[in-house]
Amino acid sequence: MSEPAHLEHETPPSTPYDERLLLAERTDAEINQAVLQPMMRTGKGFWALVTILSLIVAWGMYAWGYLIYWGIGVTGKNRPVYWTLFITTFVFWVGISHAGTMISAVLRLLKADWRRPITRGAEAMTAFALIMAALYPLIHLGRVWKFYWMIPYPNNRFMWPNFQSPLMWDMVAIFTYLIASSLYLYLALIPDMAMARDHTDGWRYKLYRVLALGWRGTEGEWHKIHRALGIFSIVIIPIFLSVHSIVSWDFAVTIQARWHSTIFAPYFVIGAVYSGLSALATILVIVRRGMHLHEFLRSEHFNALGKLVLVAGMAWVYFWFAGFIVEWYGNEPVVRELIRQEVSGNLAPFFYLQMSANLIPIVLLIFKRVRTTPVLLLATTLLVNVGMFTERALIVIGSLQRNDIPFNWGTYRPTWVEISIVAMTFAGFALLYTVFSRIIPFVPVWEIKEGRLRYTMRRIGRLLVPTAAEID
Amino acid sequence: MTDSLTLIALFNKSADTAEVIDELHNLGIPDDKIVVITGVPYPEGALGRNREWLTLPYIVLAGAAAGLLFGLFLAVITPHLYRLDVGGHPPVSFPPAAVIIFVFTMMATIVSTFLGVLWEMNFPRFGAAPYHKLVTDGYLALILDIPMLLEDRVRQTLDTHHADHIGEPEWMTL
Repeated sequence: MSEPAHLEHETPPSTPYDERLLLAERTDAEINQAVLQPMMRTGKGFWALVTILSLIVAWGMYAWGYLIYWGIGVTGKNRPVYWTLFITTFVFWVGISHAGTMISAVLRLLKADWRRPITRGAEAMTAFALIMAALYPLIHLGRVWKFYWMIPYPNNRFMWPNFQSPLMWDMVAIFTYLIASSLYLYLALIPDMAMARDHTDGWRYKLYRVLALGWRGTEGEWHKIHRALGIFSIVIIPIFLSVHSIVSWDFAVTIQARWHSTIFAPYFVIGAVYSGLSALATILVIVRRGMHLHEFLRSEHFNALGKLVLVAGMAWVYFWFAGFIVEWYGNEPVVRELIRQEVSGNLAPFFYLQMSANLIPIVLLIFKRVRTTPVLLLATTLLVNVGMFTERALIVIGSLQRNDIPFNWGTYRPTWVEISIVAMTFAGFALLYTVFSRIIPFVPVWEIKEGRLRYTMRRIGRLLVPTAAEID
Repeated sequence: MTDSLTLIALFNKSADTAEVIDELHNLGIPDDKIVVITGVPYPEGALGRNREWLTLPYIVLAGAAAGLLFGLFLAVITPHLYRLDVGGHPPVSFPPAAVIIFVFTMMATIVSTFLGVLWEMNFPRFGAAPYHKLVTDGYLALILDIPMLLEDRVRQTLDTHHADHIGEPEWMTL
């Protein structure tokens, strides 16, 4: 496809008003091209990134193969630290997955217009993060080929999954969330697949044609897909709340000190929202720069997203403190020892990293300049996820190092196998996202156009402001 | 039917499209002979058409009920078939059963919504259908199934409202 001359070598608009006006003045055909053209460009930088990420994934696969061949003993797992970096990263990825639903479903129901350009990126993040999370129970099993024992089917061994076990709930809940988020992502994608089908040829045309399922855009099709997306938005919210609650119950239903807490479910959920929204902001800043999507992902979107991260961060602090004060006041011997370890013992560096990496961003995000300057937002939200990963490590690994039998206390050191596998999932996530951004329109074009239909620019005094039409 | 004709017309503006639809109704062309295709979802009623009745909510409810029953079966019936006593709990108890039943209900609701909407839209549908690629570039397309006797009057109506590309539609493989 030839690119319209005015789309080539475009310099990013300088002010938020310029950005808005630029999009408002575009024709639908120009918007299609503005989204499709960056997908077609795969320069040296893209291939270099794909190569590096693929090599890391390949190395991680080797490490996993090594683990399968030699057994789980090649990891740093020991007694008493039986859940280690794998489960830490599993919890982290499940947390990251929560932003997709938060942004796409909750904001869709609230009719927040600023969600439009970022929904697809958020939904894709959810699906890819869950794929990475789902790998960990398999890796953690060691004997991965025994996984099918978790599936309920009549068998001559008379073995049946224990549905009273939170680990079983976990598998079912994550599988449900993965199905739900993938279908949600795909359903909203169908009209854009038809748009891409109409503007491409070769292998892309064949792919988009299959994915568009014969979409034409009749009134009936729009009506039905709108209704289905509305139902999805409502149903997926309790699913998203339940998934991280169930993950928290993996810990909370035990009698392990610092895990056995009634506040764990909401604490995990809010932590997930905090880290997920931060990860989304990080990714949007990177994708905006990499794909030149400046007119779609504007400072107003980063500002709104930054405010959401700020609110989630404050809620996380509240839940953390509400849990901590009760444990501190209870002064149970093992809990007291764990708190001492965190505040002034071996775990202190991690504890202070966790607190500073989660608290400093909250202070920074108060400033509009931080929220609206992509590079500052990138640094701030990256810091949040350093803090949230450390928090998960402290919960999972830190807590297990102490228990009711001092004879059985221990420490944990990760091995190269675990570090390589964790690196594999981070690289795998980035690789999936990178490839996705070149195959699927990153910005939901039909939602952008729908927003333009419902919002017009109106001059109030010296300002140009978007005004909404009161239509459902 | 040899005495009917299929026409396509493209419009730039939704107001023109809505007015044309009203005039086509006045000419005696029923709603089910008019198909509007757009690249953007217009609000219901914007083009003066009747709201379509959907069975989707009923499909979703049926799916949710099926999921609930399946969850009940797994959480309440199967523990009696494969009894496993753990932690001093009875083989079936409310809290774990509630989790399993909830998750399976939600899973079935989501899957039935997806399959239901595909069924309602008659998807996938990869055959040839009247279509114009300019629809995704912002045009509104009207596809009309009209009696040949009315062709001249319909064309005149479309012309009056600044329609482009009036003619027989291309049947495109979608």
